[in-house]
Amino acid sequence: MKFLYIQILKDVWKELISNKVNLFFMILSLVISLTALNTIYSLGYSAKEQILNALANVQFGKDAMLILAGGGKIIGLTTTRRDTLKLGDAKEIEKLDFVKLVSPISLGTSEVSYKGNAEMIRIEGVFPNYTIATNWYPKTGRFINKNDLKRLSKVCVVGFDIPKKFGIKDPIGKKIKIRSEYFEIIGILESKPTFGHFNRNERIFIPLTTAQRRLFNKDYIDAIKILFQPGTNIDLAKYKIRQILRKRHKLYGIEPDDFRIITPDMAIKFFTSASKILTIFLLTISLISLIISGVIIMNLMYANIEEKSPIIALRVALGATSQRIIIHYLVMSLIIAFISGLIGWILSLLILKTIAYFTPLKAYFSWLTFLFSLSFAILTTIVFSLIPSVKATQVEPSILLKSL
Amino acid sequence: MVKKLVILKDITKTYQTGKVSYQVLKGINLEVEKGEFLAIMGASGSGKTTLLNIIGLLDKPTSGSYILDGEEVSKLSKQELAYIRNRKLGFIFQAFHLIPWATALENVLMPLLYRKEGISKKDEERAKKLLERLGLGDRIKAKPAELSGGQQQRVAIARALIGKPKLLLADEPTGNLDSKSSEEVIKIFRELNQEGITIIMVTHDPEIAKYAKRIKIIKDGNFIEK
Ligand SMILES: Nc1ncnc2c1ncn2[C@@H]1O[C@H](COP(=O)(O)OP(=O)(O)OP(=O)(O)O)[C@@H](O)[C@H]1O
Ligand SMILES: [Mg+2]
Repeated sequence: MKFLYIQILKDVWKELISNKVNLFFMILSLVISLTALNTIYSLGYSAKEQILNALANVQFGKDAMLILAGGGKIIGLTTTRRDTLKLGDAKEIEKLDFVKLVSPISLGTSEVSYKGNAEMIRIEGVFPNYTIATNWYPKTGRFINKNDLKRLSKVCVVGFDIPKKFGIKDPIGKKIKIRSEYFEIIGILESKPTFGHFNRNERIFIPLTTAQRRLFNKDYIDAIKILFQPGTNIDLAKYKIRQILRKRHKLYGIEPDDFRIITPDMAIKFFTSASKILTIFLLTISLISLIISGVIIMNLMYANIEEKSPIIALRVALGATSQRIIIHYLVMSLIIAFISGLIGWILSLLILKTIAYFTPLKAYFSWLTFLFSLSFAILTTIVFSLIPSVKATQVEPSILLKSL
Repeated sequence: MVKKLVILKDITKTYQTGKVSYQVLKGINLEVEKGEFLAIMGASGSGKTTLLNIIGLLDKPTSGSYILDGEEVSKLSKQELAYIRNRKLGFIFQAFHLIPWATALENVLMPLLYRKEGISKKDEERAKKLLERLGLGDRIKAKPAELSGGQQQRVAIARALIGKPKLLLADEPTGNLDSKSSEEVIKIFRELNQEGITIIMVTHDPEIAKYAKRIKIIKDGNFIEK
């Protein structure tokens, strides 16, 4: 009795390997679909993870806040005046006892040139404490200090990618032209992970005072980065800072804020929504590849089994019941799916490990995705091998036997 | 004990091709007793295969009653028919119809695979003995493609016999064979019949039909009365 299953298995196996070319293509189509899906998904997932990590690492600590000049939505054009945020505001905020550090920033984009190379570069006028506020330090040379600030020095600290971009050898001490003035390079910042088209390593930092008076000719600032004492209630801090700014900017009643306060949770919200879009994109790709491979598997299985209908009729003539025929092709589908699953699994891992070896991406193998795609493949294989085999058992065996 | 193995009453078979219907069998009446060896003859297209397929439960008659071994079979389910084909009938085809990827031995054992018990060691021994007796003792591992037509038909005979059937049905068993192989095959049939197996055989060849105990000729969908 228990030998019956082994005998059936043997019978199915013999039939399978009787046409090795067919078997090869059935397994190939399954393996390709499984491997493609799993590598695409895993790489996408890995990229997403890495972006999130980079963001977490770069942007914000937990006890931090960013104030941007101009009111309106976080992303998008401001809807109010944006020349009202002043250094005095930063000084006032610094007086709050829960504030650890206040770092004002003046922003602008200027033409920067070096030996005939000219590019539009983002210039940031900053305080010496910018390094602490952003956890970003010079790799070589030094950062802007108090003296630079006091003297309106024409010095600059450049992002990691700037020397390469302009072809500057031994940058420290070299002079670079920003708009019409020459600035001495005093330091190069360490490289920071970056994403999108805003390369953080392609910026130039100069003393805030120099930026305001010599370059941008403006008395307002564009942003203030604030660090709080550990354990500060961010909501309360936000409330207090908002009151101070509204009072100083003479905003009363229903007049809207002419500044935006960005807290860590808002930043996280924004980035999670970005990562959600990436996830939806990945799922779409996965779904498309599933459907395509499903159609291929479907056709292969169907054509293969349909070709076998005279043999099925012979088996029926010899006394096989419909159930027996169904078991036969069920076992066959499972064998194919099992072999393909095994190969697909090993191949996906190999590809992921290879990619992980040559690129910064990590090899995240998602078992959930793998098992999902495998069950989908098994289901397609089973359904589309059973349809033609059941069909073959429905007609009188005499009709199909004619074509054997 | 039922004496009559096959009782056909007013069996008709009509093929419907689109709007055109074509009656192949026009009320066949036939009784076959146990131990008989019947040959059915007739011109090509006269309905011999159609009749044998109905007797072999590979096809259904359009009307009429068919009692096989004391049981009315025209109203049985597919599953019951499969059971009867497996236990009571052995079928031999003109084109052998062996499974190409299975060895001679595996082909012979195939009907037993469709039983709940599966294939036992004893069955295997029996299959080997059958093949030996049919002169294929040294070819049990051969695939059909490696065998001659006569050898393939002998494998098919062994396959028809392995289930110990009550009735052996053969549709032009020598149709694809040369005269020497034909004679070998028909002699096996006669031996089997002498051992008590009932045989119904369809053939064109009068030389082959001579071996049968009784001959019936079909014409225009009916037997010719002698
Ligand atoms: N599935 C079918 N559909 C329509 N007509 C059919 C079908 N099967 C057989 N026929 C017709 O029925 C008639 C009898 O066919 P059958 O195969 O029984 O003849 P036969 O006596 O076995 O002939 P042969 O000696 O050539 O084998 C033929 O005219 C054939 O064309
Ligand atoms: Mg015929």
